[in-house]
Amino acid sequence: MKKILIIEDDVQIRIELKALLENSLYEAIVLEDFSSTLEEILRISPDLVLLDINIPYMNGELLLASLRKRSSVPVIMVTSRNSEADEVLAMSYGADDYITKPYHPTILLLRIAAIFKRIQGIQTVLTYQDASVNLQKGTISRGDVVINLTKNEMIIFSYLLNHQDRIVSRDELMTDLWNNNEFINDNALTVNISRLRTKLKELGIDAKIETRKGIGYILL
Amino acid sequence: MKLKKYLLDHWFILLLFSFFFFLIFLFLLAFKVPLACMIAILLCFFLFFLISILLLFFRKKSFFDALLFSTSALDKSYLVLETIESPHFYEGELFCDCLYEINKSMNENVKIYEDATRDFKEYIEMWIHEVKVPLASLILILHNQKEADKRILTEIRKIDHFLEQVLYYVRQESPEKDYLIKKVSLEQIVHNVALHNKDDLLENHVEFITSDLSFFVYTDSKWLEFILNQVIRNAIKYRKESEDDFITIQAKSEGEQVILTIEDNGIGILSSDLPHVFEKTFTGYNGRIKTKSTGMGLFIAKKLCQRLGHEIKIDSEISKYTRITITFFNHSYYDVVQ
Repeated sequence: MKKILIIEDDVQIRIELKALLENSLYEAIVLEDFSSTLEEILRISPDLVLLDINIPYMNGELLLASLRKRSSVPVIMVTSRNSEADEVLAMSYGADDYITKPYHPTILLLRIAAIFKRIQGIQTVLTYQDASVNLQKGTISRGDVVINLTKNEMIIFSYLLNHQDRIVSRDELMTDLWNNNEFINDNALTVNISRLRTKLKELGIDAKIETRKGIGYILL
Repeated sequence: MKLKKYLLDHWFILLLFSFFFFLIFLFLLAFKVPLACMIAILLCFFLFFLISILLLFFRKKSFFDALLFSTSALDKSYLVLETIESPHFYEGELFCDCLYEINKSMNENVKIYEDATRDFKEYIEMWIHEVKVPLASLILILHNQKEADKRILTEIRKIDHFLEQVLYYVRQESPEKDYLIKKVSLEQIVHNVALHNKDDLLENHVEFITSDLSFFVYTDSKWLEFILNQVIRNAIKYRKESEDDFITIQAKSEGEQVILTIEDNGIGILSSDLPHVFEKTFTGYNGRIKTKSTGMGLFIAKKLCQRLGHEIKIDSEISKYTRITITFFNHSYYDVVQ
């Protein structure tokens, strides 16, 4: 489980952010005392830091600059300051990403996932049961049978596959599709999912994309 | 400075001179001075008068002409004192000292307002950033609740949008440079704008169609995103509410220009309203039939475009389409600067 450290002075945001990350199966640690933030980060040694710029004692940018001298842990700067100059400055201090408040929670999760993916290196082949999923070619193959997925179907399938351990909401799938510049509507999502189900059946694997009414889908 | 007016202005001296000239003439006549002597004395007296009045005139003329010329030629005429030589006569010196003092006190007065405006602007910016924190918190709370009412999120997004409007209104107005021009990908910008407006587009069933966006432009990405958000919001707001509402975004390149076109098939704008849509607080027909609009969005968008050096144009046909085009000028100069 990836460990994410939340450095944020607003109590409500802290609580909700922790809940959001835990629902997405991350281990979320909240920093409550900001008097020795740098040492705390190094002690906890998280896999990623969500760092607010306005924190007590030390400006987030300065903190980042001093953190960068001692650690290369990925950092996402979270701030309500949204000018280009602020962003350029934060990135120059060594932030890996920059997101402005108020953000769409699903987009924050996608950004976090993108950073972890970048660190792991791009995986082109995933496996599902005894089938192999080639993300680059857009195919699923099992034995001799090869089935082509459209770009949309592949985005949906790989998202479900990467989050197989929990229920994925329609909003998450939609956000991931839009994030990949596939600006489709609700009906198209439904159509894509039913096509995906048919294709998996054609492949002969006992695939189950189950609908959980009012919540979303889960790949079993 | 005109001699005639100057002389007319000094009529009493001319009158006094004429009177004394006549008096001396009478004296000379009474003392039976020979005619030649009389002419010589009167001529001397006349020349003395003429030369002294001309001398006084030209000394003033050179100063006042320079002052008048500079005042009308400068576009900031209050800087005139910096451009003229200080005069070498007493009244001129007094006059200049006065001007200097007036200028100084006015500058101090203007400074009070400048400071007040800047403080206010800074406060507004700070306040907006402060309000965004509880907004972010609200969105997270709603997101974490399984049964949350979607309408609340829609309303929160409206608040966020109005906050952005104020923020950019303040930014476009301030003389300080709040933007940062960089080479940015139109594809990336449209991607951000699409994600930003995703929920509103989906909830209102407006298709979002993009094509040919693989261009780079020089702009401030945050400002441009605000401008496009504004345009997209308008397109959603003034949609036909039919089965196939859509917005298309595409770009093309013409020489050193890149032209971005955002078109919708909404209710359109009356041709009589069209020339005024970029005016401050103009709402027009559409603004009256739909929910009350403030008429600020496009005004701010235009101002931002002006400051960034882009050209924004609007074109529409009632109940057919509205088309916004933004032209970016990609001078090779930027490449050198980069």
